Amino acid sequence: MTSTAGKHLSTIVRVVLGLVFLYAGILKIADPVAFAGNIAAYRILPYFGNYLVAATLPWLEAICGLLLVIGWRARTAALITCILNGVFIVALASTILRGLDIDCGCFQQGGDKTSAWSAMGRDIVLIAMALTLLRKDRQRSP
Amino acid sequence: MHQSTIRLLREMAGICLVAVAIGLVWNHQLLYNAWTGNAPSTAPVAASAPPDQSGQAQQAVPVPLPLGLMQVKEFHDRKEAVIVDARDETAFAAGHITGAVSFPLGEADGRLADFAKRYPPTTLLVVYCNGYACHDSHDLANKLLAAGYPTVFVFEGGFPEWQAAGYPVMEGNQ
Repeated sequence: MTSTAGKHLSTIVRVVLGLVFLYAGILKIADPVAFAGNIAAYRILPYFGNYLVAATLPWLEAICGLLLVIGWRARTAALITCILNGVFIVALASTILRGLDIDCGCFQQGGDKTSAWSAMGRDIVLIAMALTLLRKDRQRSP
Repeated sequence: MHQSTIRLLREMAGICLVAVAIGLVWNHQLLYNAWTGNAPSTAPVAASAPPDQSGQAQQAVPVPLPLGLMQVKEFHDRKEAVIVDARDETAFAAGHITGAVSFPLGEADGRLADFAKRYPPTTLLVVYCNGYACHDSHDLANKLLAAGYPTVFVFEGGFPEWQAAGYPVMEGNQ
């Protein structure tokens, strides 16, 4: 019973995490120029770097999200999302340290502003979800 | 254990490569424009050619990045950027973003040298005009990029969006 409940919970966590990344990726794919503008506001990358990341990162998010939703190579996708969220947290922390009060650009480009602190909190929750999946998967492995 | 780690890393690399490849192919035109605009060898050509008359000169100019209302407000409040009004002086006098500098697109070529004396190339610029249907801000931003300002944003919502948000505006030529 406990094992069945745990399996269901793991599936829910996997699908929810996947949908979050799929949603985030699709919104950015739809408007890469606006996403490049949001990346530029972080003032970390050079001019072309903003466009390069805006062109490729959303696809990585969307593919990882899709893999998590369908459950194929889910462990690998969970690990990538974990690393991505770690990178996002570092970038957001740098904006706080530099006194930049910008929109995180996490989902809807040009939508309501999300502060760096809120975005970091959300990223920590997503990392916890990904780690839960990795831990479950490891326990199942011989 | 070792085998599974290698397999995991290989799968991660595979997923990343596929994502990057799709992203590059999907956005190849955008990346090409950004790349050619940023190429240092094309900058002198772009600076000397009239951007409105030559499609090739337009391609050589870096693409100005769009900026949302909230970010413009942040720059404005912190005085981190010079807000540039690309509309004509009559429109500027009727109402503009408080603290904005009037730099009408129609007089840009004549005023560029004076502008460059007042604001060094390191200045962060945000250009606006009359909202999404107005292209003067984009054209002026292209001229400023070609003139050697590396960081030029376009506030596409422009004065109408700023005013509708209830943010500070003023009248007159100051």
